[in-house]
Amino acid sequence: MTDEEREGEIRASLEDAPSSPGSSGYAGEGGSTSATSGSQFEIQHQEIEDDTRIEIDRISLSDSHTSWIPGKRHLDEDDASISWRKRKKHFFVLSHSGKPIYSRYGDEHRLAGFSATLQAIISFVESGGDSIKLVRAGRHQVVFLVKGPIYLVCISSTEEPYESLRGQLELIYGQMLVILTRSINRCFEKNPKFDMTPLLGGTETVFSSLIHSFSWNPATFLHAYTCLPLSYATRQAAGAILQDVADSGVLFAILMCRHKVISLVGAQKASLHPDDMLLLANFVMSSESFRQVKLTSESFSPICLPRYNPSAFLYAYIDYFDADTYLMLLTTSSDAFYNLKDCRFRVEMVLLKSSVLSEVQRSLLNGGMHVEDLPPLPHSGSSHLGQHMLPSDSPDRFKEANSGIGGPAGLWHFMYRSIYLDQYVSSEFPSSINTPQQQKRLYRAYQKLFASMHDKGIGPHKTQFRRDENYVLLCWVTQDFELYAAFDPLADKASAIKTCNHVCQWIKDVENEIFLLGASPFSW
Amino acid sequence: MPSRRRTLLKVIILGDSGVGKTSLMNQYVNKKFSNQYKATIGADFLTKEVQFEDRLFTLQIWDTAGQERFQSLGVAFYRGADCCVLVYDVNSMKSFDNLNNWREEFLIQASPSDPENFPFVVIGNKIDIDGGNSRVVSEKKARAWCASKGNIPYFETSAKEGINVEEAFQCIAKNALKSGEEEELYLPDTIDVGNSSQPRATGCEC
Ligand SMILES: Nc1nc2c(ncn2[C@@H]2O[C@H](COP(=O)(O)OP(=O)(O)OP(=O)(O)O)[C@@H](O)[C@H]2O)c(=O)[nH]1
Ligand SMILES: [Mg+2]
Repeated sequence: MTDEEREGEIRASLEDAPSSPGSSGYAGEGGSTSATSGSQFEIQHQEIEDDTRIEIDRISLSDSHTSWIPGKRHLDEDDASISWRKRKKHFFVLSHSGKPIYSRYGDEHRLAGFSATLQAIISFVESGGDSIKLVRAGRHQVVFLVKGPIYLVCISSTEEPYESLRGQLELIYGQMLVILTRSINRCFEKNPKFDMTPLLGGTETVFSSLIHSFSWNPATFLHAYTCLPLSYATRQAAGAILQDVADSGVLFAILMCRHKVISLVGAQKASLHPDDMLLLANFVMSSESFRQVKLTSESFSPICLPRYNPSAFLYAYIDYFDADTYLMLLTTSSDAFYNLKDCRFRVEMVLLKSSVLSEVQRSLLNGGMHVEDLPPLPHSGSSHLGQHMLPSDSPDRFKEANSGIGGPAGLWHFMYRSIYLDQYVSSEFPSSINTPQQQKRLYRAYQKLFASMHDKGIGPHKTQFRRDENYVLLCWVTQDFELYAAFDPLADKASAIKTCNHVCQWIKDVENEIFLLGASPFSW
Repeated sequence: MPSRRRTLLKVIILGDSGVGKTSLMNQYVNKKFSNQYKATIGADFLTKEVQFEDRLFTLQIWDTAGQERFQSLGVAFYRGADCCVLVYDVNSMKSFDNLNNWREEFLIQASPSDPENFPFVVIGNKIDIDGGNSRVVSEKKARAWCASKGNIPYFETSAKEGINVEEAFQCIAKNALKSGEEEELYLPDTIDVGNSSQPRATGCEC
């Protein structure tokens, strides 16, 4: 597809489809609406949102989550505490007999009465042959998810769409399966009063960090994973050695840097769901034990990938090469430790020789795509290759004080999800969106956009254009990709659209470096 | 012919969650202690070179998770152990009572060739807390249990203050070595059946 065709397409669908949300629900060009912004309410109500603490020690532009302190907080609270009641977003997990299993805030045991109430509500509705999904109470939404003997509930006043909150509950359930597999259901069959909390001992940080990621990690709603930008050759080198060990009896070999994939390989026919990757990476990164003692960075643990097989454990060998980069080798065999240890050794040798690890560090410093690097709009015709600066070409250009002012036409940020690859790429944040609050607000706006775009029943080509006092948001969904872009609130609509086309072209031009190509297809 | 091959000794550390297994290991290997509790997931693994009677050994220490959900997963970790260290917290009766379960579970799952004489070492940890005033398991009681289980060597330690940790691990290494070497002596006369001068049996006994 040429650039002009693309442009024509997006313009046509924007202007010829009066019933699309872009031209109906929101103010379009007018710029008067404020109804879309949940964050407004957040400020007005002065409620307590736990993540606000990040503000205190905000350090870097792009990695706000690193300054977040994991672990359970406010253990002294229960449902009688004012502070507890004021928290914006609660998550609960309880058993079908009303026993608390997990609560984001407060001590589970002190919330036993509250849990019983939730259970009563759920079973009351169920006894009528129905199931409860959502209750609205004032500005609170109560979202329910029933998974056999396990009930998950979210109480939120964050104005996130129902679909998003439900998706978050699904992920929490998935995280539980990662730790215990679905065989916990058997415990409830044997003994309905079974108390599950002891089985989750020591995992508070896994859940709190997952919940925290709902507000900074777009993978939690995009259902896609993201790669660390690397030159094609570097990623190939990493992939080759992973392939090598995968051939010797490893089911999945995954090399990651923080939450970004460097490379991954699955044994024949084995494929990894992006949600499993998210949950696995969260489990590993939030478990301090995996990197507790420098000398003991090797760990071996049972782990379940719910989308791969929710009923069985795999065994994971986990080793950190440095503070950010870790290798995960998964097998089906519980006594494969020595084999995996040997594989690790081989991987490490190759990575060191081929300087993959230093390239990884360099990429971390340089960051990914910066909107300022978007090639300027050509007067006519298509954009050209090579105008942009690739991250790996520009080691000198990281996080200078004056960088990050934004891209052409007031472009602030974008996210691009390749449907075929199950991967997304997100640009670095400019200075106009540099606090965790601003970033969270943008992600929530994207999330809302995502939910409305995926609202069933509107054709395959869809666009949406929203303007409020915070940004202009533009979304474009095709069969191949989804693009979400945020602009300065005063941005001109026509040039914003044009810019989006250029972003797509730019991504095509650098896809070798931002995506993992040629990985075994992710089918499930 | 290499006269001295490096011996690798596998040591498993077991005990309830929070008794201080990871802390003991950390103190022994890194001479460090942290007050913060970070639950071990699955098993952590480290090696340490030790010298004993003029020979070098590699201790391969498996620091296992005491959390309940890992207790059914022993097999993978226990197999082939040369020594098993049972740790309890002198301030927690429950952790002491559970030593019996840990020991039995280990013997079932690791199924060593000679369970009666398999080397265990018992460690009573956290003796520093409250200057010993909050301790609930007396040394006498612990020693009596150890004696009843075939004279298991017993140590009282503080991973925090580094008290007795080195000594305990010296003993662990020594005991692991004993059982490890027996294993090695046993191997040749099964492997060398064909070549050795007088094998026990010749031909087929089927
Ligand atoms: N005062 C004192 N505290 C200790 C001592 N040993 C460990 N601790 C503390 O006890 C807590 C638990 O220690 P860990 O070493 O993590 O316990 P563990 O046995 O490895 O626990 P799991 O990994 O869950 O099986 C930590 O907060 C340690 O700081 C000690 O000798 N004295
Ligand atoms: Mg531990």
